[in-house]
Amino acid sequence: MKKSKRMFILIESALAVMVALVVAVMIKERNGREPERIAAVLQDSDDGQWSAFKYGLKEAAEDQKVDVFIVGKEGPLSVEEERLLLEREIENGADALIVQPVIGAGSEEMLQKIGKKVPVMLVEYPVSESSETSLLPVTSADHEAMGRDLGAAFLEDCGGNLEGKTIGFVSETADSEAVRSRKKGFLDAVNGYGGIPAWSISASEESGVRPGEQEAVDFVIALDDSSLVEAGKEVLSNDLHGALVYGIGNSTEAVYYLDLGKVECLVVPDEFYTGYQSLTEVAKRLGSRFYKMKNQTVSHTVLRRKELFSKENQRLIFTMSQ
Amino acid sequence: MKNEYLDFWENLKHRGIQSTIMLTFSVISILLMLALGIVLDVRFSAVSKKEVIKSAQKLMEQTGESLEDYLIAMRQISDAAYYNAIKEYDFSSQSQDIQKSLNLLYEANKDQLQSIALYNQYGSLIVAEPVALQKEDPDVTRQDWFKKATEELENMHFSTPHIQNLFDDAAFRYHWVISLSSMVELTNGGDSRLGVLLVDMDFSSISRLMKKINDTDSDQYYYLCDSSGEIIYHPRQVQLGDGIGRENNRTVAAYKDGVYDEVFGGERRKAIVKTISYTGWKLVGVFPNSMFRRGMINVRYFIILLLLLMVMMLVVINRIVSVRISRPILKLNASVLDYEAGARPEIYIGGSQEIRHLGYSIQKSYEKIDDLMRRIVKEQNERRKSELDALQSQINPHFLYNTLDSITWMIEGEKNDEAAYMITQLARFFRISLSKGHTVISVRDELLHAQSYMNIQKIRYKDSFDVKFEIDPAVNSYCAVKLVLQPLLENAINYGVSGIDDGEITVLGNVRGGDVILTVRDNGIGIPEGDVALLLTDNNRVHRHGSGVGLVNVNRRIQLLFGGEYGLRIESEPDEGTSVSVCIPAVPFTEENRKLLEGGSALDRDKIMSMRNRENRDEEK
Repeated sequence: MKKSKRMFILIESALAVMVALVVAVMIKERNGREPERIAAVLQDSDDGQWSAFKYGLKEAAEDQKVDVFIVGKEGPLSVEEERLLLEREIENGADALIVQPVIGAGSEEMLQKIGKKVPVMLVEYPVSESSETSLLPVTSADHEAMGRDLGAAFLEDCGGNLEGKTIGFVSETADSEAVRSRKKGFLDAVNGYGGIPAWSISASEESGVRPGEQEAVDFVIALDDSSLVEAGKEVLSNDLHGALVYGIGNSTEAVYYLDLGKVECLVVPDEFYTGYQSLTEVAKRLGSRFYKMKNQTVSHTVLRRKELFSKENQRLIFTMSQ
Repeated sequence: MKNEYLDFWENLKHRGIQSTIMLTFSVISILLMLALGIVLDVRFSAVSKKEVIKSAQKLMEQTGESLEDYLIAMRQISDAAYYNAIKEYDFSSQSQDIQKSLNLLYEANKDQLQSIALYNQYGSLIVAEPVALQKEDPDVTRQDWFKKATEELENMHFSTPHIQNLFDDAAFRYHWVISLSSMVELTNGGDSRLGVLLVDMDFSSISRLMKKINDTDSDQYYYLCDSSGEIIYHPRQVQLGDGIGRENNRTVAAYKDGVYDEVFGGERRKAIVKTISYTGWKLVGVFPNSMFRRGMINVRYFIILLLLLMVMMLVVINRIVSVRISRPILKLNASVLDYEAGARPEIYIGGSQEIRHLGYSIQKSYEKIDDLMRRIVKEQNERRKSELDALQSQINPHFLYNTLDSITWMIEGEKNDEAAYMITQLARFFRISLSKGHTVISVRDELLHAQSYMNIQKIRYKDSFDVKFEIDPAVNSYCAVKLVLQPLLENAINYGVSGIDDGEITVLGNVRGGDVILTVRDNGIGIPEGDVALLLTDNNRVHRHGSGVGLVNVNRRIQLLFGGEYGLRIESEPDEGTSVSVCIPAVPFTEENRKLLEGGSALDRDKIMSMRNRENRDEEK
């Protein structure tokens, strides 16, 4: 074959290959990229305390151009129920999971096993002893710092004198690392000022245990949102024997009791940022196979009734109202 | 490596006409396509950008109008509350009527309203709709809407969105509202007093409107800010508050309506600003430049596809054009090359008029050259033949004179038999010498001629030497140049054996290595070593005896006929003798070969030689 003819066939072939490539890219572009699916598995996902978190997830999903699905059921989950939920989500095509872990035997192993299939980000608290020892990344507030700030606010209200004052602690579950850290932080802050811890209970509607049924104390410290709301209700119905309530919460209901003056001080973790940052971190991991997700710590705010409607606090309440 | 590049450029420089045309056309086509692509891209980008901006402006115009309608509706509600309820009645006696009127107003607009409330100038609630429990000491005098209403009495004031902090909501809801506040006059017990009328608009109405225009997959977005740049609505409002995102709202607040190019956060973008009447709010559309690029990507792919297809088509057209232009030239070139390789001068004549003309010219030139060549060859042959003939003719007169002298002498001595024998030999000698005028004869005839000559000479020299012929019969059938042995024999007699007692001349004939070797060897006094080298070169030597025809002539005749590689080979040893060999190619003696050799053309001779070489090779195999 003549050299010029060979060259002609070569050029035409190269151009044909380029045309085919451009057509393939055009078809791919037209069909569009299927966005990644991220499932968030939360306990009692319809509860008001998740409003800001879910809003954060939704906003981050828009910013990162991924799809997010919130999964859960009313009331707390067992380890087995959570495993079934997670596996079902993976079967349904979830590319990554954001999980509020269930505290219980075998939970860590189960989550690690799931984590080998798809990227998993834990939220609110680690499933192990602490965030540092957790094998899975965690996005959460600094629970100990929240407890410490609550204790500082409490001390300030008491003028730094707790001599003879009794304190009752209430939380939904006593066995979570978050509650333990919050309590530890609080006790560290008030240690040496004479306060007397009278009791510490796990109160919930299911268990029927209520703080009002306990012996009267001067102060009730609610270590999570649901126990704070319960305590607020009891103050409203005068069932708490005049105890003053301090606590940690993140629902509009908790804010409402602060607004009414039934709660003296409320420490609010930035749940919007928890949702936003956890999803952003997972999206980064999906964007790059080599990206290693890191622990994320979100800030918290100490709310007082007096400054409840300041500009900054209004933004916080706005996220909880979504 | 450098040499490779140089070779490459050299090859490019010396490429063929077709490649040159094709390459030139293709490069020009590709450059044109690229230029066209860039122009199309720039043009499409500009048009597309303009269209996006235009449609965004239209959308913003509509949204602005909707917002203005909404705000006008709110003002109308406020005016209606004031003129139809508050100003119409006296609070001391007609509070029920006022409540009723406000209720009617609220019910008619409750989709857009959160509440209508009237406060006295000290911040105490006078009336509110819907009726709700006021929070314990909300202290409205510290709230912005109240402060603004009391500071600028004659104006209506729109606040930025905020949480309504007035009424208790047992459902734990915190409503996000925009407050429209104004100072009003109210009548209580016949006295005119000042109060602040507050209409709280549900922010969700504005939020829905803004969300609707922000519901796109592209990176463009719209936000709303007040005249000082305070954000009223932004699709990433919380992120801005959290410091996750940033917005150029403070700068944009100073912009008048129009389209602006700005660089914010390291990104170039376009900002379209539309001011909302009554409030001074600014509706801002943000269009990052990257969005235009992304929006153009499909158009760009289409342009690239189109260009590639056009380049493909142009390459085909270029190929056809270059082939059509170059084919006659290539054919002409091929025919010239064929001619140069020795084929007949049939030059291609075809293609366009110019190339046909070129073909004709070359054809004629070649024909002329061929004709001239033939004439020159013919002339050269004739000149050579005449030279050959002249050389041959130098032999005869002396020899004939001497022989006739000997015959005369024999007749006078009454040696009639010997004279008759001699005449017979002389007759054969001349018959072969003449050979019908041929220059090429068979080796057999040449040997016969030599024998005749030697027979004559022996008689002349009275058998004073011996002559032996040792001939391989195979040599007889080959071609020989006429009269090459006779001068050698003459020399052998004159310089070799004359004057010695047992002189002996031997004629040898054999075929060796495809050549015929005819040797005349004598056992005479030999030739000094220095003279041997001069024998074939020195044409001016004085011949001491014989016909005077030297070895130079014989050698030249052989070379004229068979080429420079053939001729005489002389070996001599003083006091031992001399051996002179004729070396000629072994060409079979046929009529055809004879004619070809005598034709004298170098081409003909080469043809015969190549035939002979081929035959030799076949024999060897």
